[in-house]
Formats: sequence, C-alpha cells, structure tokens
Amino acid sequence: MESQSHKAHRPAQSGAKAEKKSAKAKGKEKQHGFNEKAFAPRSGRRAERQGRRTAERDQTRLHVPLVDRTPDDQPPPTVVAIVGPPGVGKTTLMKSLIRRYTKQTLNQIQGPVTVVSGKKKRITFLECNNDLNSMIDVAKVADLVLLMIDGSYGFEMETFEFLNILQSHGFPKVIGVLTHLDLIKKAATLRATKKALKKRFWTEIYQGAKLFYLSGVLNGRYPDTEILNLSRFISVMKFRPLVFRNSHPYLLADRFEDLTPREEVRASKGKCDRTVTLYGYLRGTNYRLGTKVHIPGVGDLDVKSVQILGDPCPLPDAESEKRRKLSEKKKLLIHAPMSDVGGVIYDKDAVYINVPGNFTKGGMENPGEGEKMVLDLQDVGSTLEDVVAKSQIRLFGSSSRPLSVQAEAGPSRLGSDASEQSDSEEEEDDGDEDEDDDEALSGEEDEEFGSEDGFSDEELDVPDDEATLGDHGRSAPRTVRRSMHGLSTSSGKRGEVDYAESDSDLGGEDDDDPGPSRRFVRFDDEDPVDVASDEEGEEQDEDVPQWKLNLSERAQAAFRESSRSRRRKDWTKLIYNSSASPESILGVDGSGDTSSSGVPRMDDDDFFTVKSSAPVKAEEDLDRTKEPVNADELKQWEDEELLDSIRHLFITGTPSQSAEGVDSNGEPYEFDEEGLQDGDGEDMGDENGEGKPSLNKDADALAAKKAELKRKFDEQYDEPDSAKADFYTEAKEAMARQQQLNRAEFEGVEDPEARALLEGYRPGSYVRLELSSVPAEMVENFDPRYPIVVGGLLPAEERFGYVQVRIKRHRWFAKTLKTNDPLILSLGWRRFQTVPIYSLDDHSIRMRMLKYTPEHMHCYATFYGPAALPNTGFCAFNALSRDSPGFRVSATGVVLDIDRSTKIVKKIKLTGVPFKIFKNTAFIKDMFTSALEVAKFEGANIRTVSGIRGQVKKALPKPDGAFRAAFEDKILMSDIVFLRAWYSIQPRKFYNPVTSLLLSDKEQWQGMRLTGQVRREQGLKAPTNVNSIYKPVERPARRFNPLKVPKKLQAALPYASKPKLMKPQHRATYMQKRAVIMEPEEKKAMALLQQVRALRKDQVVRRREKKEEKRAEHRKKIEKEEAKKDEKEKERRKEYMRAAGMKSKREAEMEGGGRSGKRRKT
Amino acid sequence: MAQTPTILQFSGHQYLRHRLVLSILSGKPVRIDKIRSDDKNPGLRDYEVSLLRLLERVTNGTIIEISVTGTAILLKPGIIAGGSVVHDCPLSRSVGYFLEPIVMLAPFAKKPLQLTLRGITTDDNDLSVDIIRTVTLPHMQLFGVSEGLELRIKKRGSPPQGGGEVQFLCPIVRQVKTINFVDPGKVKRIRGISHAVRVNPQFSNRMIEASRSVLNRYIPDIYLYSDVYKGEDSGKSPGYALTLLSESTTGAMHCAEAISQPGVPPEDIALQASRALLTEIKRGGCIDRQHQVLVLLMMVLGSEDVGRCRLGEPTTRTIQFLRDVKETFGTAFKIAPADPSDQNTPDLLFSCYGVGYINANRSLA
Repeated sequence: MESQSHKAHRPAQSGAKAEKKSAKAKGKEKQHGFNEKAFAPRSGRRAERQGRRTAERDQTRLHVPLVDRTPDDQPPPTVVAIVGPPGVGKTTLMKSLIRRYTKQTLNQIQGPVTVVSGKKKRITFLECNNDLNSMIDVAKVADLVLLMIDGSYGFEMETFEFLNILQSHGFPKVIGVLTHLDLIKKAATLRATKKALKKRFWTEIYQGAKLFYLSGVLNGRYPDTEILNLSRFISVMKFRPLVFRNSHPYLLADRFEDLTPREEVRASKGKCDRTVTLYGYLRGTNYRLGTKVHIPGVGDLDVKSVQILGDPCPLPDAESEKRRKLSEKKKLLIHAPMSDVGGVIYDKDAVYINVPGNFTKGGMENPGEGEKMVLDLQDVGSTLEDVVAKSQIRLFGSSSRPLSVQAEAGPSRLGSDASEQSDSEEEEDDGDEDEDDDEALSGEEDEEFGSEDGFSDEELDVPDDEATLGDHGRSAPRTVRRSMHGLSTSSGKRGEVDYAESDSDLGGEDDDDPGPSRRFVRFDDEDPVDVASDEEGEEQDEDVPQWKLNLSERAQAAFRESSRSRRRKDWTKLIYNSSASPESILGVDGSGDTSSSGVPRMDDDDFFTVKSSAPVKAEEDLDRTKEPVNADELKQWEDEELLDSIRHLFITGTPSQSAEGVDSNGEPYEFDEEGLQDGDGEDMGDENGEGKPSLNKDADALAAKKAELKRKFDEQYDEPDSAKADFYTEAKEAMARQQQLNRAEFEGVEDPEARALLEGYRPGSYVRLELSSVPAEMVENFDPRYPIVVGGLLPAEERFGYVQVRIKRHRWFAKTLKTNDPLILSLGWRRFQTVPIYSLDDHSIRMRMLKYTPEHMHCYATFYGPAALPNTGFCAFNALSRDSPGFRVSATGVVLDIDRSTKIVKKIKLTGVPFKIFKNTAFIKDMFTSALEVAKFEGANIRTVSGIRGQVKKALPKPDGAFRAAFEDKILMSDIVFLRAWYSIQPRKFYNPVTSLLLSDKEQWQGMRLTGQVRREQGLKAPTNVNSIYKPVERPARRFNPLKVPKKLQAALPYASKPKLMKPQHRATYMQKRAVIMEPEEKKAMALLQQVRALRKDQVVRRREKKEEKRAEHRKKIEKEEAKKDEKEKERRKEYMRAAGMKSKREAEMEGGGRSGKRRKT
Repeated sequence: MAQTPTILQFSGHQYLRHRLVLSILSGKPVRIDKIRSDDKNPGLRDYEVSLLRLLERVTNGTIIEISVTGTAILLKPGIIAGGSVVHDCPLSRSVGYFLEPIVMLAPFAKKPLQLTLRGITTDDNDLSVDIIRTVTLPHMQLFGVSEGLELRIKKRGSPPQGGGEVQFLCPIVRQVKTINFVDPGKVKRIRGISHAVRVNPQFSNRMIEASRSVLNRYIPDIYLYSDVYKGEDSGKSPGYALTLLSESTTGAMHCAEAISQPGVPPEDIALQASRALLTEIKRGGCIDRQHQVLVLLMMVLGSEDVGRCRLGEPTTRTIQFLRDVKETFGTAFKIAPADPSDQNTPDLLFSCYGVGYINANRSLA
C-alpha cells in the first residue's frame, strides 16, 4: 500500500474553476494595498458625519494667506532663542547644539552665534538672560523659542511672564525643553511630573505643543542623541510669518563697533556722542535708506549709512550642492563675533584676523627696548602738531608774545583729514575696476592692521605708504579702521585727469564720469548727447514763421527725431542723479534763453555754478495741472496724414498691427516699428531679405504668437480647473505671482547702490549699519549678553500722539491699575513708560474716565506716546526690576486708534444754594463765579437733592455768578442745587523710553515713581489737607413746624382729609366711672366658666408633656441609628485604607523585588 | 535722543501741492521757503493760503506757520481726520486745484471724507470737475479705492464769478493695491461731456457736432453728453466747455478739454479739445499726463511689492515729484523704456517697490 501512487493534483487551467481562482488571487493581491471596504461607513448617517468632519478638519488647516517677505533663495538665519530661568541649563543646551552643528565646543558664549545647519538653512542661536528687558527684546525677534523648564522644580514665574510677552508680540513657535529630569529618582514620580508639566504646557501654548525631555548632563553637554533629535525638530520647523515682523525691517546685531575718533572721545572724556556700527542679518521687510531705527533700550536713531557686506556665514555654494548632506567642511562654519570665535571678521573694506593670545598692553613682563619705545609712542597724549602748536618759541628773550603757528596748523590738518576721507571713499568706488590691485592693497592693509594690534615688526614693510599718509600717532589702539592707502594708486589712476587733488578735495561725491567734457551728458552705453543742441533744433522749428510748408513731413520727422532723442535719455539718471531742473530735462524751457541752462548738469560737474538770474516773465508760472495749450501743435492735426498715423492706436486700426500689439497678458506692448518708420502699415512678411537677425526675429515672433494662442486656448478650455480654485488658492496664487514679479523686476540692476535705492536692502543680506549720535553710555556699558535689536520704524511710528488701546489687566497681576499711574509698555519695538487714562464707552455717547481698571473686563486706555499701527499688540508692566514681587505682566492689549486729541470725560457736579425763592423760580449762588460762566451754561439742566428738576435761566447782575433758575416745583432754602456736567481730560504728555542698555547695571532701570513710592523712600508723610480732616459731625435736630390747616380750608375738606390729630382724653370715660355688681346667678356662671377654662388649660399642658416625651424617645432612636451608621462608615474607611496600604506596600515590595529579582538573574 | 523729526526742505512756490501731500502722508514736517521771494508781489497767493486752510481743516493736529513776509511756510502735519468739511475756494483758482491734493489724501483718513467745495468748477489751469469725476476717480479705482468714491457736481460755476458747488465723497482704505498696468491697449470708446451755462444751450450741441467731425473717423463708439444746468445751479458767470476722454481696451484713459474763450466760436473750442485728445492719445502710456503724479504716488504707497505702470514721457511736475518722493519716502523708480526693441515708442515703464504704507489713522474702535 505504501507504493500506491496517487494521482497528482492538477489545477484546472481553464474553465469556471480556474477563473474563480484567478479572480480570488487577484483579490488577495489587492488586499495588500488599501482596502476601501475597511473604512467604508456602514450607514449613510455615519458617512455624512465623517464627511463633515473631514471638511471641518480641512477648514482648520486653512489660515489667512499672508505674504512672506523673506526671500526663499537667501533667507536670513532663523533666530532660535534659548530662554529660561537661571540655572536651568541654557548655556549647556546652547553649547550642545553648537557642538552638534559645528563640531566645536565654545567655552564662553556671548551674544548671538550663527551656524550653518543645512544646505539652505542657517540658525542664529541666542541665549536670553533672566532680565525682563532682555526677554521682551528676545520675544520680538525670535523665530523659535526653546523654552527651558526645570523639570525637578516645575514652571517658574519668569516662564509664564515670558509666555505672556510672546503672546502679545505675535507668538513665535515654541518648543519646551524639560531639564534636570535626572534629579527625579523615582520612575513613577518622573512619569507623573512629565505628565503634569506637559498638561500645563499644553494649556499655555496649544494642545500638542512640542515638549522635549533632556535627561542629564554628560561631559558638560546633554546626551548627543537627544540633542540630535532636538536639532531635527528645529530643522523641520515651519514658520508662519508674523504680521508685525512682516511689515518692519529689523536686525539682530551680532557685532558692535565704535567708530568715534579716539581723539574726540579723549577730548570729551568719553562723554561725546558716538558713531557706532552694528552688524547683522537683515530680517523682515526690505530696509529703505532714510528709515529711522529704534534700538530698544537706547532710543530712536538715524542710520547714517548701510553697507552690504560679504556673508560671514555663507550657505554652501553650488559645488557642494550636489550632495544630499552638508559636507563636513561646511559644518565648521560658525559666526559669533561677540564670543570671539572663528577669528576672521570681514568689514566694509578690510578683513581682520584675530590672533588670540598675542599681545595685551601691560601684559608684558619685561619689554625689550623697541617694544618699550613703541609702548611709549602709544602713550603720547597729543599729536605732534598739537605739541608744536602748544610749544612757544620766542625769537628774543625779551619778546612779549611767542610766535604762533596755529594759523598754519589748523587748515593743513583739516586738509589731510579730508583727503584721507575722500581717498578711502574713492578707493571703494574704484574697487571693481582694478580688483587685482585692490586685493593686493587690502592684503597689505590687513597685515598692517594686524600689526597695529599685534605690534610685530611688519610695520617697517610698508614705509612708503606711511610716508604718503603722514599718519599721526595714536594714543589708543584702534578698534575699527578705514583704509587710507589708496592715495598713491588712486592718484596714479587718475593721472589722466590733471586735477585729481582738487577732485578729492571736493569730497563726498560719487563720480561715475569724471570726464573733462562738461557740456555733455554722458551715459555708459551711448554717445554723448548734447541736449542743448537738441533743444535748439526744436526752437528753430518754432522760430520758422511759415509753419505750413511741408508740415506733415516735418511733423513726422520731428516726431521721429524727438522720440529717438528721447529714447536715448537715461531717465533714471537724469531724474535722480542730476540737478537739472525738470524743464531742462524735458527741453521745454518756455523762454528761449541761452543753451547753458538747457544743458542738464550732473551735480558733480559744475564746480562753479553761475547763479542765473531768474528770467522775469510777464506772466508768472502757476502751479498748474493742465499744460497750456500749444496752438501750433494742435494745428498739426489739420493734416490728414498725421491724423491717419495714429489710427493704429484705435481698435479700428489695421488688423495686422492689432494682432501684433494687443497683448492681454501684460507683456510689453509692441509697435510695429518698421511699419511706423515706413509710414504705412506694411506687414513684416516682406523683410526676409534683411538677413539672419530678422529671420530669428520672425521665428521668435512666431513662437511668441503660438504660445499666446496656446495660452488663450488653455484659458478657454481648461476653465473647469481654474474655476475650481477657491478663494484661498486664488489668493495664494496671486501672492506667488506678485512675489515672482518682485524678484524678477530688479534682477537686472547691477549697481548695488542703485538697487538699494529702488527696493531697499533685502532681508537676508549681512549689513553694516552706521549709526550717528549714539549715547556714549551705550558704548561704555556695552554687554554682549544683552541682545541689541535694531528695529526699523514705519513713517507713522516716528510720530507722537495719543494712542487709544484696548487693555485688560492680567488676571494674575495682584493689584488693580489706576488712572494716571505710570505704566511701562512694550509696544512695537519700543519699551517706554507713560501715563495712561482708563476709560469705558458710556452708551456710545461719551468716553468716560475710569479711576481703576475693571476686574475681568477689557477697557480702553489712552496715553501719549509714539504711534503704532492699529492692531499691534502690547504688554504692560508696573516695574521691570527683578525684586518686584509676584507676576510682573500687569496688562495686555491691542492698539485701536491714533489721534492728536482725545475725547475722554469725567463727571463733575457743580453745586449751588438758593438765596431767594419765589414760586417755581429761585436765585442760585455759589455755583459759578462770573456771569460769563453762567452764560455758557444757560439752559443746562439742574436738580435739587430732593429730585426737583430745573433749568439755568439767566445770570443775575448782583452777586457774581448767581443766576435765576426755574424749577418744576418750589424748592426749599435748605436744598442743594447741583448741575451734572462732563469735564474733558487729556492724558499727560509723558513719554519715557526704557533706556536699559545705557546703564551699567542693566536690570536696575528706574522710571518715574509714584508719589507714594517717593515719599516712602524719602520717609515723608503725606501732606494733609485741613479740609480733609475728619471732625465730629454735629447734626442739630431739625425742628419742623406743625402743620396748620386754615379753619376755612378745614371746613371745606371732606372728612377723610380733615386733620384728625386730637389731644388725649383727660377725663375718665363713662365706663370707667361706673362700678359693676353681679347677680348670684351670674356669679355662679362666671365661676363655672372659670373652672372649665382651668381644666382645659391643664389638659393642654399634659398633652404637651406627653408629646415631648415621645419626641425625646424618637430622638434617642435616631441618635442610636446615627451612631451605628458612623461605626459602619469608620469600618469601611479602615478597610479601604488597609487595602490601599497593602497595595502600596506590595508595589514598593514589587519594585524592590524586581530589582532584587534582576540582581538574582544576573 | 533723536526726537526731532527730520524736516523736509524745499524752496520755490512751484509744486507746492504735492510737497504738502507728501509731507502729510509721510508725517515729516516740511519747510518751504523762497516762495516768490524775487517777485514784485512776494509770498503766498490767496489760493495757496486757502489750500493750507483746507488741509488744516481736513487734518487734526496740523500746525502751519507762515513767515511774516509769507515767503516761507513750515507745516507740521497731524493726522488726516476726514469727516464732513465745507470749504469756500477763492475765485483765483478752480475747485480742481484743491481737489487734486485732497484726492491723494482722502483714502488715508480716519473717517470717510465728505468735502463740499464752492467756487469755480472749470477753468484752464486745473482739472475741471468733469475730468476729476470721469478720469481721476476711475484711476483711484485701480488702487482699490472704489466703494463710495463719488464726486457730485451740485452747481456749475464758470470763471470769473464762479458760484459752483461740488461734493466729494471718499471712502477710506487700509492699504492701496499694487498695480501692474503695462498694456495701454487700444482706444475702444470715446466719451465726452459738453456743458454750457448761462449761454445759449445750443452751444453745447454745436460743440458736440464739431468734435464728432474730427473723432468720427477713428471709432464709432463716441458718446458726447450735453450736460444742462439751469437757474441757480448754473453759477454766476456764463461759460461753456467740452471735456473728452478716451478709454482703451485695457482701461487706459486719456482726457482733454477746452473751455470757452471770449470771441472764439464753440466749434473752435470743440476742435481744440478733440485735437488735444488726439495729442494725448499719441503720447501713449497707460495714464495720461495729468494723472501721472497721482498714479505714481499711489504706486509708491502700495504694499511692499513691485508695481509697474507704463507712462508716456514724464512732465515737469512728474520729474519734480519723483525727486521729492525720493526725499520723503527714500524710494526711487526704475524707469526703463517700455519696449527696448522698439525704436519709436517714447513710452517708459515705471516700476517701483511700494513702501507698504498702511493707513495708521484708521481706527479699530
């Protein structure tokens, strides 16, 4: 039986079974993918619900489309701020992150640190110290905040304060970082803490906000894997533009230099206003020249100049672009000038290499002879010239006045200064022309500059430069230098022009065309155009008396000629770079004066300008919009040909031209130029003979035409697609189109200065801002740990006015806010102290002043200060110092309105007393002081205390300020009359910027204090007003006269109204006078009745007693039951506690057991 | 600290209006000196003083100081308040002189402006109210100032006596839109208004006839309206005028007008207007000469995007305006030939990056 072979199974190859199987196999294959049945709703209702939910979720995804002004190609580094209370591990985290990105460990980090984090990404790390001012500034510039929280402690007040500040300034992205978690030993506690902190964090930010856990510190850094994870989260973070930052240019300064001449500083003992430069990446919108900036903590400043510098921390360029990852070399890039790493600093015209540990003054043990000499040279207080000037030479011993050389010394020094200045500028201009030369030069400079700090012997290598310069000795090492070696080369280069010296003396010019021929306007690409001659030609035209001869030909010729000459004009240069009057630019000087005035002068052309006397005109030139009608010009239109020549500008014009010209796409409109020149509308087809260029042109035109047709076709037939786009996508597309245009429009402008004039300095470029008249304290008390933010101001924000805001006291702030108490606001870029007045809208009739902010409600506040755009958020503080107890954010709100006047009123009650009363009329005094005042209040409503209403009628002549008033009833002499009025109040014009950066101790800024505070600090008592002292109130009893109704009236009154007051009865009444003696029968009856009553009483008493007994019994019973219940409850609780105790004990044991178990296992 | 704002310095009496407008919009104080200092009759004219008064009334907190001789003024601008204002214009200039700067300012006011101006409605120095109504206001619509923008001509007033009255209503905007207007298109229709007050009403029909004789050759779509004002509404002096405007397929408008002169028949006035219109059309561009300044200003004030507009050759006013804009807002225009390949068009493409001017006066409360 073993060997019996079974017939092998042959699966059916065809037929129903095979088909079924194949179908099944297919189905199985399908199951690997998406099974649509699995998620199909079972019922229609459910399907509807699901559909609705997805639709709703889709809607939550949408946000108001906002234009992002940061460029995509070269974005500025993202600012990642590390914020948290002291000792939480901020510096450690920063070090770890920098190590992660650059493989370098920085020992001391100060100021912002920029690193390259990806192929298209850079990050600026910024550590925020615990000062409230710094927190405010950081909140305004940070794109991402790493909010550090001590896990072992929990949230601290600063964290919440910072979150509130963030919220009122736009709320950038926040990642929470929990540290010190290794201090929590128990796993359960750790878990519980994490959960609790996460919950709180989520309620503060949003549900699902990212919270990171860092376990412990290894080698002074956080564990590498955790930092790697954190860096990944940072790199994938998406940023939504914040409205305020998207409308302001700003810069986070990462370098700070003082440019003030040392001499000036020395002379003023360091008190003079400084000129400083700040370096950093521009962010936000384009920075326009002339925009004022505000540095929080310093104030509003003017920017003297802006230079775009080479990127100190450039993104990897194209050659490394091919790789997917950042190359290791690029990873080493780090830019942190304030921390002094990297060592190389590129300035406007120089490169500084910092060689650490080289030389410090006074740090030498025993200097050699040469070094000593150099050191002595450094210590010289005044220049040689000064010494010479001061030294007195007497020719003879008997001379009374010494010889003076001051007259000489002054100008020569000035001249040399000026030449230095202009030379450096010239060199900068020439830079692009002879780059090689320049590079060599800058190399020299570098060495030289290095040597000035380092005092190596290289100084001797460049003696010729020194000689030409005549440089003076310096008392202090220079921090920032400008080039001054250009003199020899530049003069050599300018050898062709003889007057180079004088040219440089002019100073401050940007000469593109220093050519000798002054009469011509010269442009880069064209022949010199003599504008004057052009104009002369026109004048000749006008002069010809017989204008009718060959009118049409000449008109056309003139038209062509003029258009050609116009075309040649470089309008940008003529308008912006020349000082020619508009008339001369156009060549339409009405008065035919000499050609010299017709020549457009470049502003640097004329050294001597002849002041042309204004031509006295018979008719004065009005500021008119309509140009005066030129009769001759209009006469031309009598010519038929000319009339026909503009036919192509109408839709009825020749079809070929219209096809060529009309372009709905917004592409430049094209005339058929050949057609015009020939004077008739010929087609372009017959120009093939002209050769290749025209052929090419034809092909291009054809291609363009085709593309156009295709686009039109698409537009017509692909309608469904475009129609489907909703508002959101449409808006986004429009934005993208506009962005594209923005990028493309100024791409071709090569000259960076011209481009800056057109569109400003783009965000993402590394710039150097030169600020003038900066307070000396900023330089002297500079501390890199405090961020320097440079915020650009919009024109509206430079102005001052009354700002109305909607404000709400913070619910965690302990006190209420009082009108006219100083408040520190952080609004826009600024931090300032001001005095607000709170108000509420009173039935839309008036703004009524409030003494205090309401609880749990918004109110208005109006203060004097710099304007901010409506809808800007702010937060307010009562004090910024660390020692102010409790929560420091006192209020938050938003700007509503800016105005130059306010309409806040408060209630005022004027009181007066009557001094004479007629029927309904009374004379009132003591309310006003003069008849004039009364006149102002005529017709006003008044009222007595008892509620009788009346009106002011007219002033009385006799007591000043008394008036006649009419009431609805007769008032009493004892009545007080009052007039309710509204008194308008203005907020005090008090604005005090928080100048914390100017202080040596930056946390101790103190603004205006309250009177009470001042008194307390000075130990003064509040002065008492005599009238405010409480005196014992004496109220004499008021006596009222009895009401007397005249007899006649009494008689006429009905009985009910008659006065019924009577005297008490003196005599005994009839009944009182009589004694009662009872009959025996009656006596008996009375006795019986009394007995019955006594019985009844007794019965009632007994019944009550019985009831009381029963009640007592019942009470006892209830008490017993209660006791039983209590007992039971006690038992139950005991049982429960016992169980719980057992459980916890068991758990503890389990833990211990687990460990021991593990131990046993190993 | 640098609390003192930078003062703009200008000299000369020319271009007073746009300088004042720029100052008020930018909030920078302006000092204009040498106002006709060499003239026999030095100092400000009555209409200039009246303009200053009007500006003071339209704004809140503006301080205007005029020197004793009247040859220098200092204007510290306040905020543009708007609201309802009534102003009597002197008879030396027409209403258009005052309306032009107001049109530039009004969209940025705190409240919508309702301005009533009384005086001369049409003269040959300034834009007539017809042009402002039919051409200037549509130009504002390009920039998103449209809803409620209206000019009502209540009464007409011809020089020298005037007696006209117009009411200008302007809404407020948060920010003007950026334009990209580079295609002048082709003229598709011509409209016109001819009016005659206190003269034979037949005059306006005669003007229409004469004008048609010139324009009919180009285009059939010509409607010239005869606007009739009677009795009290027709002002105090006789006069007539023809206002013409052409509109292209893309909405580019050109306008011209001519007003009555003593001893000139209405037909000649009509011919003058028609030919002036043809001259305007020939000059090309998307915007006619009178409105270059307005359009360029609105482009400067637009959002921080590139606005482009094709214009004909700039006028003297435009050139000076561009320079003044550079001084006030620190921005310049890129001016390039509209069509580099084309030799014959004098047209220029003006493009600029808007300063992102936001109406800070607008209140939220």
